[in-house]
Parts: sequence; C-alpha cells; structure tokens
Amino acid sequence: MSMPNTDSLPLTAAAASTSTNATSRNSLWWDAFRRFKKNKLGVVSFYVILLYVVVAALAVTGILYPDISVPNQADAYASISLSHPFGTDIFGRDILGRAIHGTVTAISIGLLASTLSLVIGLVLGSVAGYFGGKVDAAIVWLYTTVDSIPYILLIPSLTFVLGRGLINVFIAVGLTSWVTTARLVRGEFFKHKHRDYVMAAHALGANDRRKIFGHILPNVAHLAFVQFGLGFVSAIKIEVILSYLGLGVDPSQPSWGLMIDDAKNELARPYWGNLAAATMFMFGLILSFNLFNDALREALDPKMKNK
Amino acid sequence: MALSKAYPARQFRPRGQTATFVQVLLAGAVAIALAITGCTKKRFDENDNSLNLVLRANVKGLDPISANDLYSSTVIAQMYEGLLEYNYLKRPFTLQPALAEAMPEVSKDGLTYTFKIKKGVKFHDNAAFKDGKGREITAQDFIYSWKRLADPRNASEGFWIFDGKIKGLNEWAQMVKAEKANYDTPVEGLTATDSNTLVVKLTGVYHQLPFVLAMPFASIVPKEAVEKYGKEFLNNPVGTGPFVLEKPTDWVRNSKITLKKNPSYRPATYPTEGAPGDAEKGLLADAGKQVPFIDKLVFNEIVEDQPRWQNGLKGNFDWFDIPKDNFENAVKDNKIAPELGAKGMALDVTPALDVTYIGFNMTDKELGKNKLLRQAISKAFDSKTYIQKFLNGRGVAAQGPIPPGVDAYDDVYKNPNAEFDLAKAKELLAKAGFPEGKGAPELTYEALSDATARQGAEFFAQSMAAIGIKVKINSNTWPQFQEKIKGQKAQIFGIAWGADYPDAQNFFQLFYSKNKTPGPNDSSFTNLEFDKLYEESLKLPAGEERTKLYRKLRDIVADESPWVFNAHRLGYRLVHGWVGNFKWTEVANDYPKYIRIDAKKRAELGSKL
Repeated sequence: MSMPNTDSLPLTAAAASTSTNATSRNSLWWDAFRRFKKNKLGVVSFYVILLYVVVAALAVTGILYPDISVPNQADAYASISLSHPFGTDIFGRDILGRAIHGTVTAISIGLLASTLSLVIGLVLGSVAGYFGGKVDAAIVWLYTTVDSIPYILLIPSLTFVLGRGLINVFIAVGLTSWVTTARLVRGEFFKHKHRDYVMAAHALGANDRRKIFGHILPNVAHLAFVQFGLGFVSAIKIEVILSYLGLGVDPSQPSWGLMIDDAKNELARPYWGNLAAATMFMFGLILSFNLFNDALREALDPKMKNK
Repeated sequence: MALSKAYPARQFRPRGQTATFVQVLLAGAVAIALAITGCTKKRFDENDNSLNLVLRANVKGLDPISANDLYSSTVIAQMYEGLLEYNYLKRPFTLQPALAEAMPEVSKDGLTYTFKIKKGVKFHDNAAFKDGKGREITAQDFIYSWKRLADPRNASEGFWIFDGKIKGLNEWAQMVKAEKANYDTPVEGLTATDSNTLVVKLTGVYHQLPFVLAMPFASIVPKEAVEKYGKEFLNNPVGTGPFVLEKPTDWVRNSKITLKKNPSYRPATYPTEGAPGDAEKGLLADAGKQVPFIDKLVFNEIVEDQPRWQNGLKGNFDWFDIPKDNFENAVKDNKIAPELGAKGMALDVTPALDVTYIGFNMTDKELGKNKLLRQAISKAFDSKTYIQKFLNGRGVAAQGPIPPGVDAYDDVYKNPNAEFDLAKAKELLAKAGFPEGKGAPELTYEALSDATARQGAEFFAQSMAAIGIKVKINSNTWPQFQEKIKGQKAQIFGIAWGADYPDAQNFFQLFYSKNKTPGPNDSSFTNLEFDKLYEESLKLPAGEERTKLYRKLRDIVADESPWVFNAHRLGYRLVHGWVGNFKWTEVANDYPKYIRIDAKKRAELGSKL
C-alpha cells in the first residue's frame, strides 16, 4: 500500500489520528496497514489480485500467449488437453489464453474507469462539501440527476453515442459511476470543514485549495480507497455485461463477456470451455476484490481500531 | 466516521431475519415449481387452431412499400396481396392470379398488359372506411398504390420494380417532387378503363413484370387508410390478405405479432395440382378447399439462436431453422436425429435460392476507388471454411451472385477473385499500394448483434488480419443495420439476398446503378458497361442469348468485386408432426394460408416435448 508523505501533512496526521504525536509509526495509515495484515482473508485476497495483475502484465508484454488472436482453423473446438486446459474456441484459439487476455481487458477497464470516477467524485464531492451554498446545490442537482437514470440504461446509451471499444467503455463507466463517491466525500467535507485543524490552517493563512487538497482530503482519503475498490469490481462487471450485449469492447479484443456470449450458443454442442474459463476467472477476481475491499474498509475505519 | 453508515448492507443481519428470508424464498420456489408442473400438463389447447412461426430478426414496419427485408415482407404478405401470386406447390415456381381474375392479356409487342380484377374482393374492415366496413377494391386502387410506391416523398426501397418501366410514372414522380402534380394527375402507363380493368403500358419490354407484381411492394393499399393514418400507416395495416392485424397493440415491437384470420377473405383455394411427388406426400389432400385453414397466425421475433431453438423444440413454434451449434445433435447422416424423429418432427431441406455476401460501400473513399484492394480482400476471405464453421457445410461457396436453382447458374465457373489464396491476396494488396498492409486504412465492418453474427464478423476480421488489414466491428440491430446501409454509412457489411422471383435478373439488379441504395443496390455499385449490358438483358426473354449476357454481367461483377461472394445456403428446418400441407416456398411468403394445423395432435405430441 502506498503511504502518504508525512512531511506534507503534519497537521492532518496529527488531527486525524488519536495520537498526539505525529510520527509515521502510529499514523492512521500505518495503523491501518498493521490491522490489515491481521486479516488473513484480506491478505490472501490481496495476493490473488496481485497474481491477476502479474498474469495480465505477462500477457501484455507478450510472454504469455502472444498469438492469442491468431486463428488456427484446424484446431477448432479441441477438447481439454494439457496444451489447452480449457480447450479451444470456434476459431481454434486457446481458451485459457483468451481468458488471460480477458484479464487484461478487465483490469484495464477496472483501473481506468474507477480512476476516472474517483477523480470526478472526489473533486465534485470536495468542492460541494467545502463551499456549500449554490455550488453545493448545483453539484447535488447534477449527481441527483445522473443517479436518477438507471445505469443499465445510461451506460449502453453512452456507448451507443461513443461507439464500441475499450476507451469508450471506460469513459462510459467512469462518467456514470462517480455519484456515490461524490456523495460520501461531500458529507465528510461538511463534517470536517469546521474542525479545529481546518480552523488552524485557516488561521495560518491557508487558501481554499490548500485547505481542501492539503488538509481535508487526506483525512477522507480512506473513503477514496474503498470506493476505488468497489468501483473496480463494478467496472469489471459492467464491462462483461456490455461486451455480452454487444456494446462493449471491440470483438477482436478478448473479453470475458464475449466468451460468455460465445458460450451461450456453444453450450448446445455441448461445449463449455468458454463459459467455465470466463466465469472462473471472473469469480476469482471479483471475489478477491470484494474480500480485499472488506478488509481494507475495516482496517481504515477508525471505529474498528481497537478491535 | 461515516463509513459504517455508508455500508449498512454489510452490517450484521439478525439470524432470525435471515431464516425468514430463506423461508420466503423456499415458499416462492415451491409455488413456481407447482405453477410450472401445472402448466406442463396442458401446454397446448386442443382447439387452438393457430400457426406459430418465428422470425430471426425484428420487423421494421408493416407498410408494403417498405417491405425490402425478408422479415418485414413475410409479415406484410399475410395482410396484403397483389395481382399475382405463386402456386404453392408447383416447381419451378409458377405464377397464378391473386387479385387478378386471370393472367394478364399481353399485347403482341409486349408493351401493354391488361388485367381484369376480381369482383367482390373487399379490404379488411377498418375504422378508415365508412361504417368501419371494408369496401370493394377497384382498378384505381392499384394505380394509387403504385403511385405511392413511386412517390419520392415516400423514399420507398421498392420503387426499383417499376423504375423506368411504366410509361409516365417516373415523370409523374419528378413532377410530384417539384410539387407540380398530385395523386389525381394521370399517368399515361396506368389507366383504369373501368372499375375492374387495369391497363399497364410499359416503356420497353419487361419480362419480369409478372414476377414483380407478385412481390409485396406491388400490393394494393386503400387510399382511405393511408390518408387516415398518415405516418402511422406503418403500424395500421389494411389490405385484402387472408390475415388481419386486428389492433395495433397485437404487434408487440421486437417481440411478436398476432394476426387473426380475415373473416371476409376472398374465395381462394388450395392448389389442385402440384409438383411430381406432392400427391404421394399427401400435399393434395386439401385440393380445391377454401384457404386459410388456421384461425390465428403468430410471428415471434427472436434474434438469438438458442432461445429460438429451445422454444422450437418445446413446440412453441411449428417449424424452425437449425442453428449451427445444434446441427450435429439434430442431424445425423443428413437425416433427422432419431430422438427428434421419435417426437414426431421431420427434417426439411430446401436450397435457399440466396447468396450471402460481404458488401463494400462503393462510395467509400478507399474501397470504392481501389479495385485491387477489394480483390485482395475477396481473395483473403475463405468462404469454404466459413461454410464449414457457420453453416455446418450446408452450402456451396458462391462464385457470383446467382445461386444454384436459378436459371443461368454455372456450376463449373470459378471466380478468380473468390478463390481463397493468401499469397495472391497479399500480392494484390501490394499492387493496391499497401505492401504487407502498410498504410492500409482501418476498415469498419457492420454486423448484427447476435452472437453468431458477431462470430462471423470476427471471422472476417481475422481473415483480413492475415494480410495485414485492421478491421473494426460494429454491432447493430436489424433496423439500425438497414438504416446504415440505406444511408451509405456502412463501409463493409455482411448480408444476404434471397430471390424475390426465380430469375437471375433479380440478382443482377443488385448491381444496376439506377438501383443504388436506398434501392436494392446496397453497395451503390456503378459501372457503365454493366448498366448497358443489364439493360440489354432486360429486353430478352429467357433463353441462350440472355444467359450469355448474364455470364458477361457476372464476369464484370467478379472482376470489380463490389462484394465478397460467400455462400449459397441450404435451408435445414425441423417441422413438427402436427403441421399439415408443409412445403417450403423460397420466393413466396404467403404460405401460412395453406398450412393446416392438427391442434389435437399438437396437444398430444406437445405434452411429451
């Protein structure tokens, strides 16, 4: 886990943690890390996620299954063997390789989309919470409006406008999933903006930007972490759904959603390689992400500190 | 901190509550299970004299002038009729009078056709008429309907059937465009000498006229309904056909269309003679009886293969196609699988009289001007593998537009650009200015959104990747897909053409420049020599001389490669045991009226499905 540079946050660390002494050893973050380590399930999940990332990185660099989009007609619908643990698909491509490359798609969409939604959510939430008044009213209006449109309609319509493709999917997901983050951050800002440490910063002459980004934001940053994780999971799921519906990534790009789409016809053969591989890969990643998120949330929650 | 409040769902749930939740779930499951088993006992009503069919794409609209796709025109053909129709049983396909009293009298020069129209035929009862009662049809109705087809404001995809053929009709259309004429302005080539005599004068010989008159485009529509409904006429069909859409809500968009038997349908009988062997198959048992035999006709729209197949097996459709992924289980040694045969189903195999192809937009900056690029793409596409993979070998690799079974089909001809050869394709691509695909434009392929169509698109993209051309794939619904093609917005598109009538001209008109999209020339192919030869071929009756011209036309198309010729398909479908009088008709869509359903047998066989 990344740790903030404590030098830049002397006040925040002091104010947020209950300790009066702002050393890095018992800062909120260190404390959270210590507690996170105690959660075995969380740690295992973290390693599983790490494994996915490593596998994806190996696939991107071409070490694992470099020729996955090259068809091999002679090998179509091969059954399970050592060289093809999940068999091959209609075009003779190795299904395990497809699933691994699908991981790349999933992780990149998760990463990009949840980063985008996090940035939008954090900025809008902090600005709304900090300034209040008309700015707040405007932002609340915006996110209430966005939130009132069911995402299952909003995202497909956005992808209709933007067209298919990885980038467009991540823009569509990012632009529609920032509301919860914004709402949470806004609430936190309301609470924090009149706290003593902010007043102190104000008294020392800090401007708005410094107070928002230098002081309050680091104190609500744990929220961002958890939101990021949740966003990641939902972005992966949305990508799969969109690709399944034919609105997601370009079909030339491997995706779990496309594999399940293939599988719905192939099950009649009966041929289940695509379905098994895609769902197992999805299951592993999403389950570990959820467990990891839970562990992270517990670790970062000051209320759980003494448990 | 606020965290725990933000995630109440993750907090503890009292155990007692969980238990009740499970109980509720269980109770629900039991209730549903009971309901299902309750249903299976009586799945089909013994008195339900209905025919249930399935379409694999969505219907666009129910106006005859927009009947340019198979799915819409299949439904339209149930409600609308024209002067002529095909004999249900005879092969090769033979025309017979429908709303006409008899086959037309043709003048010696072949330029004047005189039709006598049946007396006493009435339009469907509809609020558009006085007292809601359908009025009798007249010759004037045909003139009105055909003017409507020509009216440029309607931008009909079907005007090609009369374009430049009927004296004064094109001029009339021009005047309407300039707002100098209306529907009362006479057209020289279309006159009604009395209320049931229609005289059609042609600009030149048009041997295909009787064929096109059997197409839904040339159907008769009542002026009253068109005027009453305006744009909504698309959803409020009023014709003379054997079935009626009683109310617009009987059409649930993208789901199903329920038609009822037309109680005042004209006297029309089941054919008394058929092709050799029909009598032995029991197809002549109903000879001479009034049609239709069924009371209700339902068209279901199901885009995906598996739901269509599963519903078909369950007996929800009376016949249905076999998808590629189910083929091996359904057909063994070209016979129906025994376990399906034991359930009373039969296998029907009929050549589809069609050509599947990948069309290029010839107005496209890159593709339109670069013949070598098109040839390279064509050579890099392996239609034999495609047929194995997607059609289970049920088809022949197409060498040109004409399918086997249509006159002028040449079974020895090999199209030099259609034969798969990667090395030659790469050579051609280099000649086209893109060695190894360097500098080649990224192409966009428009496909339908179902899984099989997407896989077909992927197959094309892979074939192109092999010579270094990148292809992007777009998914569309059928109406969206059509819209893109008609607007020349689709760069490359995978589509098929099924014969409207059994004449090769129906395939060559797809390349005639005056039929440019929104007409049937989807590629907007323009070639002066082709146009000249095509126009010449129109003047000739069927025979050796015309066949020679057809070969020349084919050679031009093969060389210019506006399409990648893919396959001529063989239709495989399963027919349930309770369906009587089934004979697959490839060019006519009015078959439901001849079908007989044995509802008792359906109730009996259906309970075992």
